[in-house]
Amino acid sequence: MATEYIHPIRNVRYLRPQREWKEIIAIYLYLAGMGAGSYVIGTLLNWFVHPTRVLSIWGLPLDFAKAAILWGPILVAIGAPFLIIDLGIKRRFLYACLNPRTSWVARGFLILSIFIVFGLILLAKSVLPFEWLHAESTFWTIAEVITIAFAFATALYTGILLKATKSIPLWNTYLLPLLFLVSALSTGSMAIILSTLGTGLLSNDSGALKLLMRGEQILVVIEGIVLYLFLFKRYRAAEQGKDSVRLLLSGKLKLIFWGGIVLLGFVFPMILESIASLFHGNVTLIFTAGLLLLCGGFFLRLGVLHAGIKDQLPMLRLMEIQYDNMAERWKPLSDNRREATGNTK
Amino acid sequence: MEDQQKVLVVDHEKCTGCRLCELVCSVHHTGSSNPSRARIKVVKWEHVGIYLPMICNHCEKAYCVEVCPTKACHRETDNNNRVVIDKNLCIGCRTCIVACPFGHPFFDVQERVTVKCDFCDGDPKCVAFCDPKAVTYVDADMIQMAKKREAANKFIDSTKQIR
Repeated sequence: MATEYIHPIRNVRYLRPQREWKEIIAIYLYLAGMGAGSYVIGTLLNWFVHPTRVLSIWGLPLDFAKAAILWGPILVAIGAPFLIIDLGIKRRFLYACLNPRTSWVARGFLILSIFIVFGLILLAKSVLPFEWLHAESTFWTIAEVITIAFAFATALYTGILLKATKSIPLWNTYLLPLLFLVSALSTGSMAIILSTLGTGLLSNDSGALKLLMRGEQILVVIEGIVLYLFLFKRYRAAEQGKDSVRLLLSGKLKLIFWGGIVLLGFVFPMILESIASLFHGNVTLIFTAGLLLLCGGFFLRLGVLHAGIKDQLPMLRLMEIQYDNMAERWKPLSDNRREATGNTK
Repeated sequence: MEDQQKVLVVDHEKCTGCRLCELVCSVHHTGSSNPSRARIKVVKWEHVGIYLPMICNHCEKAYCVEVCPTKACHRETDNNNRVVIDKNLCIGCRTCIVACPFGHPFFDVQERVTVKCDFCDGDPKCVAFCDPKAVTYVDADMIQMAKKREAANKFIDSTKQIR
C-alpha cells in the first residue's frame, strides 16, 4: 500500500481519516459499552441465580456478591469524564444536553446520565441490606427493567453517535450500532465471568458459570459475524467506504485490526478457552483469555474511529474533471516538447 | 424582500491563489493575520494551476445544526438565513466538524471553540478584498448569472458566425 501512487487529485482524501475523535473518545466508547453490557449480563445473572455473599464491614452486613456483578454503571461513570476531557471548553459540558430534539450527543448525555444514576442507586440498594428498602418488591424489579433498557440504549448509543454524523461512509450504517452492541455484550459478559471467578462467587464447575461461558462464546461468534458483515457491506459504500476498509485490512491500521481486533479479541481468547476447558477450567488461562478479549474490544473502537474517512466532495469530482481536461489539453504540448528535445523518457 | 438571501459564490477559474481572502478574514475575526484561523481556505493544486476557495455553504439541511448538542450552531432565519455558531454556547465537542460533508468548520485552538464562516454579519470581507472577483456575494437566485452571461455570449458569437 505504501508504494501505490497517490494521484494528487483523485486520491487526495485517500489516506486522511478524520482526526477530531481519537483515543480519548475510543476509551469512552469502550468503557460505556463494556459497562452497559456487563450490567445487562449481571442483572440477568442476578435474576436467575441470586448469588449472595454477605460480609460484615464495621458491623454493617454488605452483600458483596451483588457488588461483584452489578458494577457496570461505575465503569460508565468512569468513562463519561473522558468525554468531558475531550471538549474544547470543559467547564461548559453541562450545555451538552440542550438539543435533544435533533442531536444524538445531547440525547446520549441524557441516556447515560439516567443509566448511571439508576444503576448506581440499584447497586447501592442491592449491596446495602437495610430492611426499609424492601429489596425484593416489584418497585425495584420495575426499576431494574427500566435500567436494563437504558443499558441497552447506552450500548447502542455508542454506535448511533458515530452513525449520526452521516458524512463518513464507514460509520453511516445500522450495522455499526449493532456491532458495538454485540461487542458491548460480549466484553461485558467476559468481564462478569472474570469478576465472578476472581471473587470466587461461582465455583469453577458450577452450572451457572458454564452457562455464562457458553453464552459468552456464542456472543463472541456473533460479534465476529457482525464484524465481517460490517466490513463486507461498507466496502461497497460510496467511494470512501472502500478506502476505509482497505485502511483497516491492509493499510496503516492493519496492526490494530489484525493484531488488536482479530488476534487479541477473537483468536487468542478462543484458543485459550478451549485449552482451559481441557484442563477443567484452569483459572489462569480463562483470566488471560478474558483480558485479551477485553483489549480486543478497545481496539475495535479505536480501529473504527481511526478509519473514518469522509465522503468525497462533489467539488473534488469537479476538480478531477478539470484536471483531466487540462491534462488532455497539455498532452500534445508535452509530447511536442519531448520530440523537440529528443527526450525519450 | 424578507426571503431574499445572499450567498457566497466561488468561481475557481478566476482565483489566482493570492490568499488575500484568508488574511482579511482572520484579521476581521481574530485580530491576528493568521491564515490558519481564517474561515475561508484556498485549496491549491499548484502543478496544474487550480485554486479553489472553500467556503461555508450555509446548507438548507445543515448537518452541523442537526448534530450540535448545545444549539450553538443554529440557523438565523431573520439574518440572511445564515448558519452561525454562537461562541458563548459552543463547548468545542467538534461533532459538527465530523458531520460537515465539506469539512468547513474547524477547531480554533486559541479560543478553544469550533468556528465557521458567518458572512461577516452581512459584509463579507473576503468579497470586499478579492480583486479578480473569484468570491462574490450575490442574491441566491442570481448565483449562475455570471456563467449564464458567458454562455450567452458564446451562443451569440457562434450564431453570428453561422449567419
